[in-house]
Amino acid sequence: MLWVDKYRPKTLDHVTVHTDIAHNLKKLVKEQDCPHLLFYGPSGSGKKTLIMAVLRQMFGSGAEKVKVENRTWKVDAGSRSLDIELTTLSSTNHIEISPSDAGFQDRYVVQEVIKEMAKNRPIDTKGKKGFKVLVLNDVDKLSREAQHSLRRTMEKYSAYCRLILCCNSSSRVTEAIRSRCLNVRINAPSEEQILDVLELIGKKEGLQLPPGFAARIAEKSNRNLRRAILTFETCRVQQYPFTSKQTIPPMDWEEHISEIASDIMKEQSPKRLFQVRGKLYDLLINCIPPEMVLKRLLHELLRKLDAELKHEVCHWAAYYEHRMRLGQKAIFHIEAFVAKFMSIYKSFLIATFG
Amino acid sequence: MSDIRKWFMKSHDKGNNAAPSKPSNQSKPSSDKPQSDKNVAGGQESSGRRVTSKYFNTNKQKVKDEKETQELPAKRKNVKDSEDIPQPKKIHEDVGDDSVLPTNKKKLAEATPTKKLKSESGRGIPQKPAVLEESDEDDKDAVSAVKSAGRGGGGRGAAGRSSGGRGRGGGRGGFMNFGERKDPPHKGEKEVPEGAPNCLAGLTFVISGTLDSLEREEAEDLIKRHGGRVTGSVSKKTNYLLCDEDIGGRKSEKAKELGTSFLTEDGLFDMIRASKPAKAPSQAEKKPVNKAGAVASPSKVSPKSQVKVPLSSRSPAKQAKPKAATTVQSSVMWTEKYRPKDPKDVIGNQSLIVQLRNWLKAWHEQFLDTGNKKKGKKQNDSGLKKAVLLSGTPGIGKTTSAKLVCQELGFQAIEVNASDSRGKADNKIEKGISGSKTNSVKELVTNESIGANMERLISHHNMSKLSKSVLIMDEVDGMSAGDRGGVADLIASIKISKIPIICICNDRYSQKLKSLVNYCLLLSFRKPTKQQMAKRLMDVAKSEGLQVNEIALEELAERVNGDMRMAVNQLQYMSLSMSTINYDDIRQRFLTNAKDEDISPFTAVDKLFGFNAGKLKMDERINLSMSDPDLVPLLIQENYINYRPSSTGKDDNGIKRMNLIARAAESIADGDIVNVQIRRYRQWQLSQASCTATCIIPASLLHGQREILEQGERNFNRFGGWLGKNSTMGKNYRLLDDLHVHILASRESSSGRDTIRMEYLTLILKRLTEPLRTLPKAEAVQQVVEFMNTYSISQEDFDTIVELSKFKGQPNPLDGIQPAVKSALTKAYKEQSKSRVVRIADQITLPGIKKAPKKRIAAILEPAEEGGEKGEDATLDESEEENTSDTEELGGITKGEKLQSELQSLNSKAMQVELELKGTGKSSSKKASGGRGKGASASGKKAAQAPKRKR
Repeated sequence: MLWVDKYRPKTLDHVTVHTDIAHNLKKLVKEQDCPHLLFYGPSGSGKKTLIMAVLRQMFGSGAEKVKVENRTWKVDAGSRSLDIELTTLSSTNHIEISPSDAGFQDRYVVQEVIKEMAKNRPIDTKGKKGFKVLVLNDVDKLSREAQHSLRRTMEKYSAYCRLILCCNSSSRVTEAIRSRCLNVRINAPSEEQILDVLELIGKKEGLQLPPGFAARIAEKSNRNLRRAILTFETCRVQQYPFTSKQTIPPMDWEEHISEIASDIMKEQSPKRLFQVRGKLYDLLINCIPPEMVLKRLLHELLRKLDAELKHEVCHWAAYYEHRMRLGQKAIFHIEAFVAKFMSIYKSFLIATFG
Repeated sequence: MSDIRKWFMKSHDKGNNAAPSKPSNQSKPSSDKPQSDKNVAGGQESSGRRVTSKYFNTNKQKVKDEKETQELPAKRKNVKDSEDIPQPKKIHEDVGDDSVLPTNKKKLAEATPTKKLKSESGRGIPQKPAVLEESDEDDKDAVSAVKSAGRGGGGRGAAGRSSGGRGRGGGRGGFMNFGERKDPPHKGEKEVPEGAPNCLAGLTFVISGTLDSLEREEAEDLIKRHGGRVTGSVSKKTNYLLCDEDIGGRKSEKAKELGTSFLTEDGLFDMIRASKPAKAPSQAEKKPVNKAGAVASPSKVSPKSQVKVPLSSRSPAKQAKPKAATTVQSSVMWTEKYRPKDPKDVIGNQSLIVQLRNWLKAWHEQFLDTGNKKKGKKQNDSGLKKAVLLSGTPGIGKTTSAKLVCQELGFQAIEVNASDSRGKADNKIEKGISGSKTNSVKELVTNESIGANMERLISHHNMSKLSKSVLIMDEVDGMSAGDRGGVADLIASIKISKIPIICICNDRYSQKLKSLVNYCLLLSFRKPTKQQMAKRLMDVAKSEGLQVNEIALEELAERVNGDMRMAVNQLQYMSLSMSTINYDDIRQRFLTNAKDEDISPFTAVDKLFGFNAGKLKMDERINLSMSDPDLVPLLIQENYINYRPSSTGKDDNGIKRMNLIARAAESIADGDIVNVQIRRYRQWQLSQASCTATCIIPASLLHGQREILEQGERNFNRFGGWLGKNSTMGKNYRLLDDLHVHILASRESSSGRDTIRMEYLTLILKRLTEPLRTLPKAEAVQQVVEFMNTYSISQEDFDTIVELSKFKGQPNPLDGIQPAVKSALTKAYKEQSKSRVVRIADQITLPGIKKAPKKRIAAILEPAEEGGEKGEDATLDESEEENTSDTEELGGITKGEKLQSELQSLNSKAMQVELELKGTGKSSSKKASGGRGKGASASGKKAAQAPKRKR
């Protein structure tokens, strides 16, 4: 088993990073009056872990006995009927889905599927836990329409259904939904916290950690705990015993993107743009979400960029990222960003060096 | 001299050479005596030619040449005879001079002014085929020819060089044939001459290949403006093949075969120019035909104009018309006024009309006189359908013919068209015809005859004495919302009808009429040819006192796309403001609705990005981009980077181009956003905005020369890559989904899909491959399989993980893993498949279902080692058995046999070898499944290995 999963805290008591939040959540659950919850925070900060822990706190170990189902729903959407396939992860008391998987049909998922799930009373109503929990992932990726349809569901069935929403950025969740939930912000753990966790794992695994090695991993992880642990293990697989000079392997796709970034910096020409397009396609084909591509690309570019251009480039990246969300063919927007960058950077170079 | 060849050289070369050559040639054209001129020229040139041809006798291709040389004297004696001698097209540059000789005796007279030009062109044109292989030789030959001939040395030299250049460029010429036609090399550089308006009257041209300075359309225009005719393919009637280079296509072959003269663009210009000073004034007032006579030898023109008018439209119309002409300027619509009064007047489709008449004539005998049987016999025999369906585009006379035929045969026509409600008849038809029209139709058809006033004229017996009725159902394909059940009802009516029914529609293949066509005799009206139409239009114009030339009318006929009614309307409209209508007026008028052409997305993109795309009108651009609103944007997106925008002018460091690309890219991205609105929210009114953003803006920013960005790429627009990439992406997402589900199902992790991809995948891959690379085989395999089991990673998932981690330019994650290790892994994994706790439905192999994915894996593993595949095959059987034995608990030997045959039928597609294998592999695995739970793994192993051993 991977260390990330192996050392994932299973209960609220065991949580090491966000202990205060865990404490509060525990109280909340104990008092039997659990509101809808909205967890948000950067990835790798422990949202999912906390949610699982909360579920366990609510329903006991039964919450861990999940089964995966690939279900198809027939949804009547006006003139035609759609088949929506969704993967659900469910135990007797909770169901977890990612409605945004349905793409732009997420509205129907919310309107029909979630409502249907929410409507059904849990099977064992005799106990005190007279409600079931619906965990929705990636709420921020839901379209606006879907979010609007969601808020009615939240109210109407609140008597016996609790929603736990999970997302990265609360800014993309509508006000209406945010106000119906208890918002729980999960910070990214600090590097010290990550370091602690890594050292703990190292100890439990009985590893020899050269001084500063864990710190480097923590630093590289960008305050993403999951990533830190995964990287840690990758290093372990790659080379053990560790040396303090050991390179910390980047993620495959990040490597690819930094390659693209240096390509772009080296030459700004139609030809290069064409090659970059090919590489971008590679990334997208390998299922890297386009937002991440753009974000990472910007990150890489900024590292190499003169300070005076940074602001402008950030602006354009944001501009194109926004438009990418409005559009559908992500590659067009990323390419437009690259073209824009090339054009800006090239004129900058010419202005500076003639 | 040799312009054509020069076009393949740098353009400045051309200027130098063309300039001297032309004046010398032009000194003659003005002379009025073609004949003598001709002879002189012919003499000169043939002498030159003879000299040169000597040099070529040795060349294999020259044989023909020689023959011609022999014939030559004869030609000179009587120029007219020369017409049937094939032009020396394939031959050598120098030999090309021959084409000067007028090839068509009728054409002789006209040919003269342009002779010079022809000589130029003739030379250039023929080259292509031969030169390709022989350019080297030719070069030498040409040089020597120059020396000995001593004529036009400079020009020759150039010719020699250019022919070499051509040889090199030949390959490119070949491509061009399927891409868009290349732009004229000297586009817009030459002054287009003005000539007497009808100086080309009676001449027929065919244009082939790329001209020197004119776009093909422009040339067509020029010819038409001067009264000439342009046709699409070479026929006997063709006077000239206009081309500046011989691309050796069918046209030129045909022309050679028929002995059509070749004419260069310059020749055409001279021809036009020549007409101007001398003849323009006198001819202006003359009618086109006469005029043509003046220019051309009379023999040619007059036959031609008659031939032109196809046979089917007979002339009675003409007589009818003049009558009408006297009543000038009445306010009656011309379409009514000149509606044919007799079936024979209808333009074209006469055979159909005859058919219609026969049908109608025979109708009563067929369907009524045979003892009043309700509906005759409904044979498939076309004569025996009870109704007829006339179909054809609007304005070609369907209704008119129907009415006229009825009239002629003394039927009373009752017309019901879209303006009447034609819904399903009230089923209480018995109540009479009180209400709807439909009921009256029903009523009508069920009675044999009826007066126009709907009065019932009784009795079946005396019907013959009474006027007979015909029901004309016009515009049956227009039966729509309001006419619910109209077609069905019409069919019902046809079945019971006692009068003939003529249905008329535009689109016979319309979905609505699908059922109807079975009950009808189908007569499809065709569009009349433009000549037919022009003739009739001429009659109309004459009787209205309009001055129009025939070419103009043909153009009109072409522009209205066969719609006679529209043509007449247009004519009437134009007659209001002018009394003389010429070609340009018509062009002007129809500027907007240019001919519809079906263009492929590639052509559209080529045009949009073309060098002179800047001159396209907005609606032309919209038309181009809308020709395929899905594909064109994708093509544009794929290719816009490749264009070097012509608008940037000097662009030293490419910054301007980069800026334009950035703008174009942004615009394309805009288009994507608009597209989402269109598709997702069905805002189709935005489609024009999207087409502007995705096609027009990028194209207008970047149009120019295309260049290649990659070594070895062909300089043609690539197909949009997005479609393919997107589907690969979709596939990969599905695979990733599977992996995700499996991992979720393992209950070890609950991460999201993206997290799995972005963060887990690197490590998982490492965990899966690293041991295989470093550890000893057995240990590695065991470790990996264990890991796979922990996370419920299946073999497919393994491949998915590898697949998703592949990036171009980075090492394949599987590099460095021994094939043996890999197959061992496969085997080990398969072995455990029985004991594995299966958590997900799709990891259980169902018989007959999971075939496809299995095959895919087999394909992947195949190159690695055959054994792997075999082993897998056996295990496949095994897992199938697992299922079957689930249902029938115990697998005895007998049962096993049964199973085996079952499996064999399931695997019937498998290769024979495998069948063989199955024989052994299966029985052992059978045992395995029987004794499952105890020593399963051992026997499983046997099962897996058995096939291999056998092999």
